[in-house]
Amino acid sequence: MISMRSFRTGLPGLIRALALVLCTASAAAQTSAPKPVAPPDPPASAPVSLSARKVYEQARSQLVQIRTVLKGQASQTSVGSGFMVSAQGHMITNFHVVAEAALQPERHDLVSVTADGREAPVKILMLDVLHDLALLKMADPKAANFDALSFRPETQKLAQGERMYSLGNPLDVGFAVIEGNYNGLVERSFYPQIFFAGSLSAGMSGGPALDQEGRVIGVNVARRVDGEQVSFLVPGAFASELLARGRDATPLALPAWPVLAAQMMGHQQLLTDRFIAQGWKLATHPRYQVPVPPDRFMRCWGSSEPSRTGGLDFERSDCVMDTRIFMGEFTTGAIAVRHESYDGRKLGTLRFAARYAQSFRNEHFDRRRPDQQTRPQCHEDFVDRNGLPLRAVVCLRAYKKLPQLYDVSVLVATLDQPKSGVQGRFDAQGVSYPNAMKLAQHYLEAYAWVPSR
Amino acid sequence: MGAVALIEVLERDGTPRHGVAVSQWPLRVGRALDNDLVLDDPHIAAHHLVVDRDENGTFVQVGDSINGIVLGTQRLASGERRPVGDAPLAITAGRMHLRLRLAEHALAPELRLDPARSLVQGLPLLGLLVLLAAALQVFNIYLDSDPDGFVRALGSNAISAIVAVLAWCGVWTLLSKLFTRQGHFGWHLRVVLIAVLAWELVSGATQLLAFSLSWPWISDFRFVLGYAVAAATLYFHMLAVEPYRHRRVRNAAIGMAVAGTLLSLWFNSQNADRLGSELYMSHLFPPALRIARPVDTPTFMKGVADLQATLDAKAKRKEDAGDDEGEGGGDADE
Repeated sequence: MISMRSFRTGLPGLIRALALVLCTASAAAQTSAPKPVAPPDPPASAPVSLSARKVYEQARSQLVQIRTVLKGQASQTSVGSGFMVSAQGHMITNFHVVAEAALQPERHDLVSVTADGREAPVKILMLDVLHDLALLKMADPKAANFDALSFRPETQKLAQGERMYSLGNPLDVGFAVIEGNYNGLVERSFYPQIFFAGSLSAGMSGGPALDQEGRVIGVNVARRVDGEQVSFLVPGAFASELLARGRDATPLALPAWPVLAAQMMGHQQLLTDRFIAQGWKLATHPRYQVPVPPDRFMRCWGSSEPSRTGGLDFERSDCVMDTRIFMGEFTTGAIAVRHESYDGRKLGTLRFAARYAQSFRNEHFDRRRPDQQTRPQCHEDFVDRNGLPLRAVVCLRAYKKLPQLYDVSVLVATLDQPKSGVQGRFDAQGVSYPNAMKLAQHYLEAYAWVPSR
Repeated sequence: MGAVALIEVLERDGTPRHGVAVSQWPLRVGRALDNDLVLDDPHIAAHHLVVDRDENGTFVQVGDSINGIVLGTQRLASGERRPVGDAPLAITAGRMHLRLRLAEHALAPELRLDPARSLVQGLPLLGLLVLLAAALQVFNIYLDSDPDGFVRALGSNAISAIVAVLAWCGVWTLLSKLFTRQGHFGWHLRVVLIAVLAWELVSGATQLLAFSLSWPWISDFRFVLGYAVAAATLYFHMLAVEPYRHRRVRNAAIGMAVAGTLLSLWFNSQNADRLGSELYMSHLFPPALRIARPVDTPTFMKGVADLQATLDAKAKRKEDAGDDEGEGGGDADE
């Protein structure tokens, strides 16, 4: 398994199975990676253009590999890439590259390895988990005079199709430069991400993506495994901001759960405000107002599934966010909304009721480990929406390592017609209790009959 | 001269294996060949017990034995004696069950054969039960199948249901035959049909009530009634296997129902951190069957707000346990 996380929201039969993979090589990846026959010599062996060669030669001394090493055993558990951003030894990488060291410091050490093979311990100064960034520094305070990469000023916009170079150490094979193209920002992403048409591999996470002058445009972060050369970069502005904020910070107290919890608090507030402010789409069902969010930072997929055996016909809509916040052991911070609209005229009242109940029962709650989350607690009742009776269930789970953050799920079934109905589900992960309540109420109150004309 | 007493060796189920009429006292029982009743059981002494009569009446005296005897529920050690009393006496010696009846004991009236058969009498009732159970199965298959697949589903389900009922009753009939020498197939068939009907009734009624009145707890704890029905079913089956041990069978059935319920509660609390078996009420019926009034959204959300205290307590409580777990894993890694 190369991916540290991968998630799939695809419905069977749809061509949109989404599989996003963070580009860290884990210990498991090493066994599955093909062994090179000869030691790799990237500048000589890769057929790169003259400018790629120039860029790599300029950046070579600023590149590092970030290794997470098991304490006392000296074997690596995961590897990623990083780059120098100051003469004092500041480095930028992805949070997910250093997550094990940040969350389980009692078992892991961080080591940087330069292109010429020099190893040195590093420490974590600051994290930006929402953009998946970490600011590191050489642990040795006397170390100085490092070559540093500079950031491309934000005022100089890139044009779509412009050539760029992503650097890093894929699969721990050796440092490499990958050519690709700038394709603007990823659409419907909650936080801005650059769409890089180039091949990122596991192990390149945290490496820099440079323009033709060798300035940092972004930081390698993830790729889609269901596409070709669909990769993602964190815009360089967030990295330079992190450097500006954390340049003189004292090393982070570890484990870093309080930092994660505090940043998640900010994220969930922004997410809740933006979600509620955007309102709902109109005309989602002929009879009911069924809540479907606009396609701003969510993507909605629909499907129509008529029964082949004269049974229940249904249509469904499934809205998910691409953005999730990586928390080391799990991801959170996303909202999902879906509904299914059932037509049981061919079934009759009793059969429809049985099928409708079955569908209402067939809801799953991700089972996180008991040291990560509590089991769900639910409240349920019939709810009146201006005359439209609903069966509503709200279930919440509390995070154990992120105090005062919860997952909330709302299940709704309309109960006004004997042979048809709509069932909906709303999920928000990692929100505060007041926001969970606000979102649940916002969702419930979006149900109603369509006003008669 | 008429017999003064009768001593019988009994089978496990209480039927006599053989009897010895006693014409004079004393009556000696043991493994040695000079006894009046020779019992060749390795747990019986050479001269295990003597029944004799003196001026106070007839008594039982234990001989030179390690194991002693059991009179009814009373254990007698070597050398002890007890009067026989005015009713036939059950004696356990070694692994043998004996019964001593004196000439002066009153004779119990004749019992009707198969006392256990009286629950539901006659063929018409059995026919009605079969019809009801079959109709219920057809209705369930109707609910679960699409219009185009109904007849096919009916065929395959009918066959498997009949096979299952016959196999179940067959096993119980074998047990009855083994222990009582009578099959009681009709009895077992009745028991299983009534059990199926009872479970369907309990299940349907709890789901309907949970929906109509919005009482989720009824279907949440339906498994308690499920265990009661299962225990009652086993009790009635067992009556036709051990017809002379009502009390023991009844206590075992109650014990099983209680143990099953407790185990389920424990499993649920371990597995889902709650006692009930259903996270939320998911039994939806046609809207016309709803009785409970819907509440408005603010009232509903008040109920949601009340969950926070529970969640926070659970999040805090397990935090320590979680950390311990993590450290345990770390030690194992090293």
